[in-house]
Amino acid sequence: MKHKLGVSGWCYLLPTLILIAVFSLWPVIQSITYTFFDYKLNDPQKSGLYLNERFNVDLFHETAIYIELFLTEDMQNITENDDKTKANTILNQIKDAAKPYVNQKGVIKITKEERSNITDLYQNTKLLLAELSTKYTLTHQDSLPLLVEDFNRSIIPSNFIGLQAYQKAFGDKYIHTALWNTILFTVVSVAIELVLGLGLALILNKAMLGQGLIRTTSLIPWAIPTAVAALMWSYLYDGSSGIIAHFFENLGLISQSQDLLLSQGGAMVSTILADVWKTTPYMALLLLAGLQNIPKSLYEAASIDGASKVKGFFTITLPLLKSSILVALLFRTLDAFRVFDLIFVLTGGGPGGATETMSIYAYKTMFGQTNFGYGSVVVMIMFLCVAIISIIFVRLLGTNLLDRD
Amino acid sequence: MKTSKRKLVLLFSIVVTGYLFIMIFPFLWIFITSFKSSGEIFGAGAFRFIPEEPTWKNYTTILFEKEIWKAIMNSFIVALSTTIYVIFVASLCAYAISRFHFKGKSILLGLILAVSMFPQMIITGPVYNLFYDLGWLNSYFVILPYSTITLPMGVWILVTHFNKIPLALEESATIDGATRIQTLTKIIIPLAAPGVFTTAIITFIAAWNEFLLTITLNTEPNYHTVPVAISFLRDQFSILWGEVAAATAIVTIPTLIIVLLFQRQIVSGLTSGGVKE
Repeated sequence: MKHKLGVSGWCYLLPTLILIAVFSLWPVIQSITYTFFDYKLNDPQKSGLYLNERFNVDLFHETAIYIELFLTEDMQNITENDDKTKANTILNQIKDAAKPYVNQKGVIKITKEERSNITDLYQNTKLLLAELSTKYTLTHQDSLPLLVEDFNRSIIPSNFIGLQAYQKAFGDKYIHTALWNTILFTVVSVAIELVLGLGLALILNKAMLGQGLIRTTSLIPWAIPTAVAALMWSYLYDGSSGIIAHFFENLGLISQSQDLLLSQGGAMVSTILADVWKTTPYMALLLLAGLQNIPKSLYEAASIDGASKVKGFFTITLPLLKSSILVALLFRTLDAFRVFDLIFVLTGGGPGGATETMSIYAYKTMFGQTNFGYGSVVVMIMFLCVAIISIIFVRLLGTNLLDRD
Repeated sequence: MKTSKRKLVLLFSIVVTGYLFIMIFPFLWIFITSFKSSGEIFGAGAFRFIPEEPTWKNYTTILFEKEIWKAIMNSFIVALSTTIYVIFVASLCAYAISRFHFKGKSILLGLILAVSMFPQMIITGPVYNLFYDLGWLNSYFVILPYSTITLPMGVWILVTHFNKIPLALEESATIDGATRIQTLTKIIIPLAAPGVFTTAIITFIAAWNEFLLTITLNTEPNYHTVPVAISFLRDQFSILWGEVAAATAIVTIPTLIIVLLFQRQIVSGLTSGGVKE
């Protein structure tokens, strides 16, 4: 009999729940939020999620200090008393405007009233400077008008863009290419791995000699880091020193060894081959475990009834192996769809974007261009595809996946 | 009948030998290259199987100048600490799932399964911002988000193993007055030790191989793990294949040892509960 967990028992689940909440669920919700904003880390006006207008206090203080300093220095150039008074009024206005924010830092929320005060200050200062510069030659004639613009820039407009980024993504030909590359890579490599893996599993299941050796050898490609495997293959594929490229050239598969990594088709084929090399053994091991669960007596009975080996394969092996195949396919498809390390190290997405998958494009957008907003849109499209793939496979498997009792 | 069987055995041997050759050849070739001088790698000797003038230079450069041992050490720190805390957290969770009834159990299992299917890319942006705000970029705190990859898999494999242990043992322990935590530590974990160990090995390999989180969160070379450090070798010295080969040979050794020692556990971990990696 299983007991009820009870309130104190939830302590067992708490650490897992906290970790999943902080490092899986919360980031997903954040990523969804990012997609609704024009969020770019390298642009000070867009480096946060601003649903309403914000006020950059740091920039404002800095600007105020410089304008006060420059204008005070330029007082000697202003000869008419009338203009001197005007300039002093503006200086006082700036001081007054800065007062409420003396102890504030960074980017803060402001009321509409405060915002219009700052805009007024910006316009008054601008007008005065325009007037002064027509009458006098100021020392800081060139830098002052530029500085004043920073008053305006310290008001940060909202960067909420709603669904615009998704709209843009629909027409983005880089996303189309990346999605196509990802699907091509996934379908071709997983299909080859399934066929080879199944064949290998059938042979291993029959093999009498050297099973241990085969198992050890199969585990090594799976166990080494993908980045290491990718680097190894990039040497084997290399145009001048790569032995595989040299071998393919001699076979006549490619006209010159450089074509393997530097032509668009060659790069995709190379990437798929490297993936097949690394994961076919893993596929074979998963399927082998499924094969070993099929009772031998079924085959004996079939052979007594006069069924051929081929018939036995299609009527006994395949149906009983169905759930093993589906589980292996599910994990491999998801892995291939999310492929990152292999391509990042082997081709970097090149040449000319020929091997750029969704992960690579998302990574380049987010961490290359620091465009977290649009990068998150790319990730969300991936997320959606992964969800669809998972749902299809889980449906095919039936509900027994979640039955852990 | 007899000749056809002999033919079949011959066919099997050819296929198996071919397979073993394809799996091993890349490593063999890397090993050969690691002893070649760069003159030989680019010259006429590029495709020679036995280096004409074998040299240790590639190894000394990569170990003492490029300091690959630092990356290996980082990988050990990161993978070992991830394994320890993930096994601890996952054991508690798997115990509750395996032994008790509670509301929302299937939701929790669904959630765990869903997390293991996430594209990792989805968490990198927000986690980067979180780590930036906390000042955790370029630190060993990177092991915390590693839980996204390792924890679901750990819980899943452990539940499978805990389920195999009969309930009767715990019931008699409970009658004798054992608390739940005593039942877990004194009965379940010792009995499920092989399963726990399997989970630990699989977690360790997954953490050892992690790439995306380290390259985004730990940009400083001092915190690079093996996969990331290796990927930068190519960027800087795309021509120096001898050093790349030596580095690859060195970093493959730890994996090779783990596979040789624990292959049984790895295979059982891979196949139990049908969990990847």
